[in-house]
Amino acid sequence: MKKHKKWLSICLIVCLIGGLGGVAWHRHRVIEERELSLIYIPKVVDGTNDFWKSLILGARMAAKEYNAEIGILAPSEENDVERQNELLKEAIEKEPDAILFSPSSFTESNDLLKEAKEKGIRISFIDSYTEEQIQDLTVATDNLEAGEKLGKFAATLLGPEDQIAIVAHVKGVSTAVEREEGFRKGLGKLADNIVEVVYCDSQYEKSRQLTVELMEKYPNLKMIAGMNEYSSVGAARAVKAAGAKDRIQVVGVDSSQEAVQLMENGVFKGLVVQKAFKMGYMGVKETVLMLRGKSYEKDVNSGCELVTPENMYSSEIEKLLFPFNTLKLS
Amino acid sequence: MYADRICKGEAEMNKKSLATVIVGKFKSIQSVIFATVAFLVLSAVVIVTGVSMRFTQNSIFENSSQYTHTIIKQMNQNIDSYIDYMENIAYLISSSEDVQDYLFDDEIDNEARYRILNQFETILDSRSDIRNVGIISKNGRMLINDGKKSVNSDLNLNTQEWYTQALDSPEGPMLTSSHVQHIISGERPWVITLSRGIRDRGGSGEKEGVFFIDLNYSAISGLCDQSTVGTKGYAFILDARGNIVYHPQQQQLYNELQTENINLIMDTDDDTVLTGTGKDGKLYSISRSDKTGWTVVDCTSVRELLSKSRQAQSIYVLTAVILVIVSLLFSRFMARSITLPIQKLRDSMKKVQEGDFSVSDVVVDSDNEIGSLTKSFDVMTHRIQELMEQNVHEQEQKRKSELKALQSQINPHFLYNTLDSIIWMAEGKKNEEVVLMTASLARLLRQSISNEDEVVPIANEVEYARGYLTIQKMRYKDKLEFQIDVDPSILYIPLIKLVLQPIIENAIYHGLKYKESKGLLIVKGFMKDGNAVLQVIDDGVGMDEETLAHIYDRHKVNYHSNGVGVYNVQKRLKLYYGDDYGITYESRPGEGTTATITIPGRQEAV
Repeated sequence: MKKHKKWLSICLIVCLIGGLGGVAWHRHRVIEERELSLIYIPKVVDGTNDFWKSLILGARMAAKEYNAEIGILAPSEENDVERQNELLKEAIEKEPDAILFSPSSFTESNDLLKEAKEKGIRISFIDSYTEEQIQDLTVATDNLEAGEKLGKFAATLLGPEDQIAIVAHVKGVSTAVEREEGFRKGLGKLADNIVEVVYCDSQYEKSRQLTVELMEKYPNLKMIAGMNEYSSVGAARAVKAAGAKDRIQVVGVDSSQEAVQLMENGVFKGLVVQKAFKMGYMGVKETVLMLRGKSYEKDVNSGCELVTPENMYSSEIEKLLFPFNTLKLS
Repeated sequence: MYADRICKGEAEMNKKSLATVIVGKFKSIQSVIFATVAFLVLSAVVIVTGVSMRFTQNSIFENSSQYTHTIIKQMNQNIDSYIDYMENIAYLISSSEDVQDYLFDDEIDNEARYRILNQFETILDSRSDIRNVGIISKNGRMLINDGKKSVNSDLNLNTQEWYTQALDSPEGPMLTSSHVQHIISGERPWVITLSRGIRDRGGSGEKEGVFFIDLNYSAISGLCDQSTVGTKGYAFILDARGNIVYHPQQQQLYNELQTENINLIMDTDDDTVLTGTGKDGKLYSISRSDKTGWTVVDCTSVRELLSKSRQAQSIYVLTAVILVIVSLLFSRFMARSITLPIQKLRDSMKKVQEGDFSVSDVVVDSDNEIGSLTKSFDVMTHRIQELMEQNVHEQEQKRKSELKALQSQINPHFLYNTLDSIIWMAEGKKNEEVVLMTASLARLLRQSISNEDEVVPIANEVEYARGYLTIQKMRYKDKLEFQIDVDPSILYIPLIKLVLQPIIENAIYHGLKYKESKGLLIVKGFMKDGNAVLQVIDDGVGMDEETLAHIYDRHKVNYHSNGVGVYNVQKRLKLYYGDDYGITYESRPGEGTTATITIPGRQEAV
């Protein structure tokens, strides 16, 4: 009888362990398989701006691949901090698992982000960051590196005395500051030839206007460098309109259909293109990994590439410049 | 085990001692059998399951790769015929007169242009997988789609591979795998281009123009996806140089967010290659097309294959577990069925050892060794029982014959004395007394001789005692008086023979004989507490305690009686009725003695 009891208890223990293991495994699976809800707030959605289009495409593809639902809330104009904060508030009310955010302002969104954190919403920064280190992870281009690449390439186009002007997007924004710093570093000694830095507030028209003024102000200007899509393309439009594409070299950051066209046309001599698709994709991927409790990278540099008229039709650059949208296919 | 047996003697010895040690650990044969069978079954099941699981994994891998290989071969054929179809269109258009006229005539032939555009429109309308179709000549004339789209004037065609290769290659169409088509401004789609050089047949005869069709991915992705429906794997296409033509995650691949081991695929000659390690590995099934030079690759994750085989394996494991449980139950049952008869045998042996032969035969149904052992045991116990019974019987016979010998003799002294008494009485002419005494003697003699039974009713014993007492009374005229007072209800209770008379005799010769005055002897019979009691009470000299203590001794044989002493009576009573019964004496010197005979009251009447 005693022996029987012993056997019985061994059987029971085995069953118990098996059962517990099964439950734990099942719970683990549930966390792993639940569809996560994410909200991404970019700086802008603009049909002409390939950077944001690619980024959002990447985010959507990653969300689909990693079983997450992603909502995009975007202001229709870049640098519209107020609108972006409204959208952020809206997103917080929806209480998603995480908010992916590309802050337009270095300081203005801090309170809202803190509120989100208090509600248990994870924050991922994409492309830019804010004054306070409130985010759980960041996926961005190393803007110093991007600026430096552009600077080094620009230096090869210039003589020792050639004047340079910079059209940046928004004063004080992290991307603008770092790209300019990198650009100066890449130029090396030639950095002393920078005559002026102007800010276009991420508007094509203002950028064009400022460029026209710069050309008048500095008749011997040899180079204009744009620090984002709006500033670069605005500057290129002005140079093209002035018929000065052979006299003034235009380099910039980010690409769009128009930028590519302008490069084919010979206005742009070089563009540093961020890997926007990769940025969006990695942003969502790492956020999902974080939410599912797996190992993830806290700081991801999505990288950038220099595009020139010589390499623009190469397979590698085409892959970067023109998104292959498989979402449309399926 | 058997292999071990063949081993050297020393090993055998060790093995044996080890075996005995192991077997010794168990308390019963049942647990030995159970443990052995359980161990054998368990190990057999584990080994078989292990082997079949291994085998399953391999065969699932093989089946899967064979299956996918058939599919991608089919897929490659579909792609070939798809490209074939496009080549036909290319041939049809590039060799048409209208194209010649439009591209190479000195003046633009508007009618030819119209007809070509019509043709293009038909093609574009009927096929949604064609993005662009167009003709371009070196001289700058071109016609694309409906002719209304603005052409990218900034594009230098000589940088475009599909254009230069079509002009340079000797003959036939060219396939340019995935690239961006820049020719229409504002549109930069990813396409696969089929291009074909057009000779200026009226002029130089050299290739002066190019016809091209841009294919979007809808048809190819359809072909790829349809063949992998239902599986988690996917298919992709590489061109002859290892560039991606189509991949379901092309954009991820282009952005280095996904990787395929393309070098491995391009270098191998096998149909199937495995890349990566363990669960994260991928199984590539490869099919190359001679026509397009493309390679169709099906990619299945090892994880998925494993999960398939795991499904099969879990069935195996389940079966194994059930098998083990069933066999454990069975082995338990078997062990029990083998050892149960042994246990029965052991139990009954124990009883026999304790002297209890009453256990009914051990019943064993089987004919095996244990069955025959049990049968032998049964036969043996029967034989022993028989022998013992025989022994008891013989002893009894012996005792009976002894008793008979005793009974058949009447004490000669008593006889002489009685006969003497009769003679004197006859001489004294006491006829009546002579008659009475002689009759009593005759009855006594008849009784002692005639009855062969060991047991007689109490009445017989009482009558015998009466005869005896009558004779004695006549002999000791003034000395003895007797009374017999027996309850009629006990008269037919059986009593072994020759009990009462020896006790009376004892009372006369040891009690009354030495008394100065006349003695009284009373025989009483009654029921008490379910027992029949006979008392012989005398008022003779009585006995002191020492005499009383030695009254049952053997040597105290009464010379006057026929040798049947109190010892003999007591022994017979105890033997016959058990220790609870027999004679007890009470006596006081000078007052008399009471002998009490107790026997069971309930007996079958004789």
